[in-house]
Amino acid sequence: MIAESAGGEAQAPTPTSMWRQAIATYAENRLALAGLVVLVFLLLFSFLGPVLYHTNQTATSLINENLAPSGSHLLGTTPEGRDELGRLMVGGQSTIEVGLGVGLVATAFGLVYGSVAGFVGGIVDVVMMRIVDALLSIPYLFFVVLLAALVQVNLLVLILVLSAVSWLSTARLARGETLSLRARDFVTASQGFGSRVRHVLARHITPNLLGVVVVNGTLKVADAILAFAAVAYLGLGPAPPATNWGELISAGINNLFDGYWWQLWPAGVLIVAMVLAVNVIGDGLSDVVEVRLQKR
Amino acid sequence: MTGYVLRRFGQAIVVMFIVSVIVFAILHLLPGGLVRAQLGPRATTLAVHDLTVQEGLNKPLVVQYGIWAWHTLQGNLGFSYKLNQSVASLLGEYLPRDLLLVGVSLLFAIAIAVPLGVWQGYRRNRPDDNALSTVMLIFYSMPSFLLAVCLIVVFNLWTNLLPSTATNFGSGLGTDISVLALPVMALCLGNVSYFSRYIRSATIDNLLSDHVRTAIAKGAAPRRLLARHVLRNSLSSTVTLIGLTLPYVLSGSLVIEALFNFPGMGLLFWNAAQDRDFPVLLGVVLVVTLATVVGNLLADLGYAALDPRVRLR
Amino acid sequence: MSTGVAADSRQHVLKVEHLRTEFRLRSATVVAVDDVSFEVGEGECVGLVGESGCGKSTTGLSIMRLLPRIGHVTGGRVLLGDRDLTALSEGEMRKVRGNDVAMIFQDPMTSLNPTATIGVQVAEPLRIHFRTPKRQAAERALEVLNLVGVPNPRERMNDYPHQLSGGLRQRVMIAMALTASPKLLIADEPTTALDVTIQAQILDLLDRLRQELSMAVLLITHDMGVIAGRTDRVMVMYAGKTVESTSTNELFGATRHPYAQALLESVPQLTTSAADRLPTIPGAPPDLASLPGGCRFAPRCRFAEPACRAAEPPLEDLGGGHLAACIHPVGGPSERQANGLADAAVNVISGPAPEPAAATGPQSVAERRAALAEAPVLVEIDRLVKEYPIRRGLGLGTGGVSVKAVSGISLTIRRGETFGLAGESGCGKSTLGRIVSGHEHPTSGAVRIDGKEILRLKGSELRRGRSELQLMFQDPYASLNPRMRVGAIIREPLLVQGSGNRRQQWERVAELLDETGLSRRAIDLYPHEFSGGQRQRIGLARALALSPRLIVADEPVSALDVSIQSQILNLMKRLQGDHGLTYMVVSHDLSVLRYLSDTIGVMYLGKLVEYGPAEAVYTAPAHPYTHGLLQAIPVPDPIVERAKRSVAVRGELPSPVNPPSGCRFRTRCPLAQELCGQAEPAMQVFGEGHVAACHFPLQTPTAGEPPHPLA
Repeated sequence: MIAESAGGEAQAPTPTSMWRQAIATYAENRLALAGLVVLVFLLLFSFLGPVLYHTNQTATSLINENLAPSGSHLLGTTPEGRDELGRLMVGGQSTIEVGLGVGLVATAFGLVYGSVAGFVGGIVDVVMMRIVDALLSIPYLFFVVLLAALVQVNLLVLILVLSAVSWLSTARLARGETLSLRARDFVTASQGFGSRVRHVLARHITPNLLGVVVVNGTLKVADAILAFAAVAYLGLGPAPPATNWGELISAGINNLFDGYWWQLWPAGVLIVAMVLAVNVIGDGLSDVVEVRLQKR
Repeated sequence: MTGYVLRRFGQAIVVMFIVSVIVFAILHLLPGGLVRAQLGPRATTLAVHDLTVQEGLNKPLVVQYGIWAWHTLQGNLGFSYKLNQSVASLLGEYLPRDLLLVGVSLLFAIAIAVPLGVWQGYRRNRPDDNALSTVMLIFYSMPSFLLAVCLIVVFNLWTNLLPSTATNFGSGLGTDISVLALPVMALCLGNVSYFSRYIRSATIDNLLSDHVRTAIAKGAAPRRLLARHVLRNSLSSTVTLIGLTLPYVLSGSLVIEALFNFPGMGLLFWNAAQDRDFPVLLGVVLVVTLATVVGNLLADLGYAALDPRVRLR
Repeated sequence: MSTGVAADSRQHVLKVEHLRTEFRLRSATVVAVDDVSFEVGEGECVGLVGESGCGKSTTGLSIMRLLPRIGHVTGGRVLLGDRDLTALSEGEMRKVRGNDVAMIFQDPMTSLNPTATIGVQVAEPLRIHFRTPKRQAAERALEVLNLVGVPNPRERMNDYPHQLSGGLRQRVMIAMALTASPKLLIADEPTTALDVTIQAQILDLLDRLRQELSMAVLLITHDMGVIAGRTDRVMVMYAGKTVESTSTNELFGATRHPYAQALLESVPQLTTSAADRLPTIPGAPPDLASLPGGCRFAPRCRFAEPACRAAEPPLEDLGGGHLAACIHPVGGPSERQANGLADAAVNVISGPAPEPAAATGPQSVAERRAALAEAPVLVEIDRLVKEYPIRRGLGLGTGGVSVKAVSGISLTIRRGETFGLAGESGCGKSTLGRIVSGHEHPTSGAVRIDGKEILRLKGSELRRGRSELQLMFQDPYASLNPRMRVGAIIREPLLVQGSGNRRQQWERVAELLDETGLSRRAIDLYPHEFSGGQRQRIGLARALALSPRLIVADEPVSALDVSIQSQILNLMKRLQGDHGLTYMVVSHDLSVLRYLSDTIGVMYLGKLVEYGPAEAVYTAPAHPYTHGLLQAIPVPDPIVERAKRSVAVRGELPSPVNPPSGCRFRTRCPLAQELCGQAEPAMQVFGEGHVAACHFPLQTPTAGEPPHPLA
């Protein structure tokens, strides 16, 4: 009721930038702001950290196995005698790369697939979506492990394998949104003055779809990081000297009863911080999109 | 309702058919194909040739699929040379344990998450809700094995209350309960964090709906509102949610079983993956998928039964 | 019915004193209800009337203390008998709700719990307040369901809300409110979501119950017609304030506040002819977060002077308990004829500016008719049928079951004509509009625009053909892409059709903005930055971009407030004059159609039941359905409204899946006889161009065959 009276006929509206409004809405969510800070910190830690903190991450060293934190090894050493802190930085790189990679690939593919199914409709839609249903009912980790057992795993392969299960829900979302957008009056109007399908898709469907899909993509990043950790924990991640936080935690768990806490908890805290940060960023972005939906 | 049930059944069958085609396609991606998968890598060329002819694997792909599907329908899922047992009998042994682990943890998860989510929705954005939401978000953002390790640290390392592995499963009811406690808890907490977020927002939607306003205008107290008007309306969508989460719950069990050495299908699958024991891998995939499809179907039927708008159509 | 009696002659049930309700938004605190006082006596009906955002609903919710979390009652008292409701604890207040005071809401579908049976929901107040045993509570529920006229109440008790029709649902809502025999009933827009025929039934029911149970009723509505017929006293609200408060007769007979007066004038009425020009209120209600100083209506008031902007006028008694908040109250009866000042439309950004006169100037109805008779036919609708198959079972076959949306309609629309299509929701009028505009394919039959079947065209011809006819939408929010700037929105059709170069296109956009009364600054703004009326103007500007010949408008003003409605209606008329447009207007609102249309068609369950020149159809309807529809419309005149005796159209629209045999209207017709069920009535002539399909028409048909397309 209040909103109804806002922006009266007689008063002059002032132009507002959509971006500025979006940033303002995002900033209202303090948790989301904190998430952004944590994310930036983790990015710097993983990619800038190794420049400042030099360690040998290729060679193993028997004499340096399982050392407790000290002046020369700030967070102790791994079971292979590598510096744990340096290892966390390297592990962070691959964890973030997989997360973002899957988020991008899955979102892009799911968006195209889903919006095509929704826009074309009819039997094409039915067939395309039944395939999605089928793939979705295979428990994703079983599917990933099966694929990982079939092929030689490296980072790129892993991104593709995780994307292969991750795009499904994006496709469902994109289809649903496209279906409802297609029935909206502004699309009807556009068809009414003779727009081609391409024009309607580019001008009306995609821009309105993007917000929701981007939010979903953010949450995909978080899910992918968790799935990557699970795969690595199961021993199916890329082979050493490559590493990632999931594998580091796994090593820590093996030595849990020996009291080598530095091998487990720092990696655990980092991965939770990362996933938490991405999740709250996603919440913040969804506020932005929802505010726009309300304004419609 | 009959129409709805029939349509849903039809869909489930179509989905299973597509899954079987995918699994069949993967079989053909294998080095050596189906025969190697059945005979193992050390089989002689002659044996391979014999089986190829015997199984009709030199026939067109469609025919091969027909033969394979026919065998699968009869429960013939191949033979594991690694474990020297037919896949069907392996599954018969491991599957019931999973039903126990996953079933019990799901039941607990619902029993905790529903009241929790409804309460949080009722107290939305107040300090207690905020605190609970934060805790749930942390659980939600944790890899399941890390959550399990936290539980091991608390209940085993510090207090020595519960065993940290489930290897002893199957040696008496008392042991089984204590052995299952931590895996169930680990799976359950992860699901609670997921369900309660959903139920909280469903509750808020319900509380802000017109029909709840009507109930308030009738003088209903909060207790009655939640019990009669909110819970019932949130319940039907919760049932659907459980159906949709099944693949994730089963995926979670894979990691948890590997961590606790619980002799379920997850562990069987994991070991098979490390051994590249493909008949077992594919058999397990088919069975867990069938389980999710059936679970989804049941959930949708449950939803239809709970919601008069579907039931009485 | 008591009239004009001040409430203090009897015991008040509800007395609201200086109520103040605030909404605490993140950015600001907004006073939604500001110093509002009134009382409601036993058996009395008091109306709260105003446009959306004026605070009328908030007042109702404040009394019940049902405000959303951000809302707070921060001042005043709400006395129910001697008890101040604002001072009660939440627990005590719960004992009042549903027991002493009951409330019914606008949308009966969403306001009922979808997962509980009707019986349980109606019995619930007794279970809550008196812990009545289930069986007894159910008996009482049965009793009230009977009282509110639910047919077969015993069977309905076990039904769920979705199994009932809209009208029955609202009856159930009322039954639920009555279960515990409250002293006061607050009805918040109880009939806004319903068709006029059902609205009349529900309002009659409320009237009857109020008298039988001598209940106090607070009726909240935006509809001056409803106010005129059903209330004893009225309070008019504007921007959170009471502007006028008096007896209903006094308000309509001797309006004192310029806002109330302007509001009454700007409502199109059944007597408003197409030749008249509708007076408008320029501008829109103020934003409560940034109110102008002084009188809140001053910026839109034609009598405003500097003093009005200096200080807020107090609500004063102008004699006989007639209160108004105005420094210069207007002098009693409507000055519509005497005052030609009202023709001011809006220039969005720079404030009110005079509406430019139509190029052709006003024409009399007769002149227009004569001109139209000469005009060539533009639209030809030929035996049009549209059926939607219903999927059953596995969803493979349809089993031959379908919704009969349009069942064989033929008519023509001449160039420059406005054709108004009326009917209840679900009668198929919107479907017909969508087919004519080329957005849906008919099952059989054809629509020809200038002799061409648009949907038979292919490729670029189809795309070009489409530019000849444009749509105007009901919901201006939904019809504009929220991510495009207004300039791009209006330019889009030009871009798509490749008409002119870049510079010419932008010149055309500027021209269109001028024509629809929008500022050129609108080009850089997004749709959400405009109000409803402005968005409808943007939609019109876009529709005009390609200079179409036909505009199909589906409920073009029903999402807008009354004061904004008249602006858009006038704009539509002016544009028609300037561009020689042809309109097909689809609406449930017969008053709007009366004002716009040259010709009227009335649809019932997929059939055209009456068709003819507007003044003929309105003054002398031949079909009982048309007559019933016209009767059911609440007229903003207490004398006319109260003279109405009985409901003219009984019951509700039957299912379009299995329409009744013979005449489809017979199940609700007061004149129906055996013949009506056996044979479908043919069109008969009742004057020049006036036809109706009825076995027992309200007039004697004139001789002669109906003109070709309508036969």
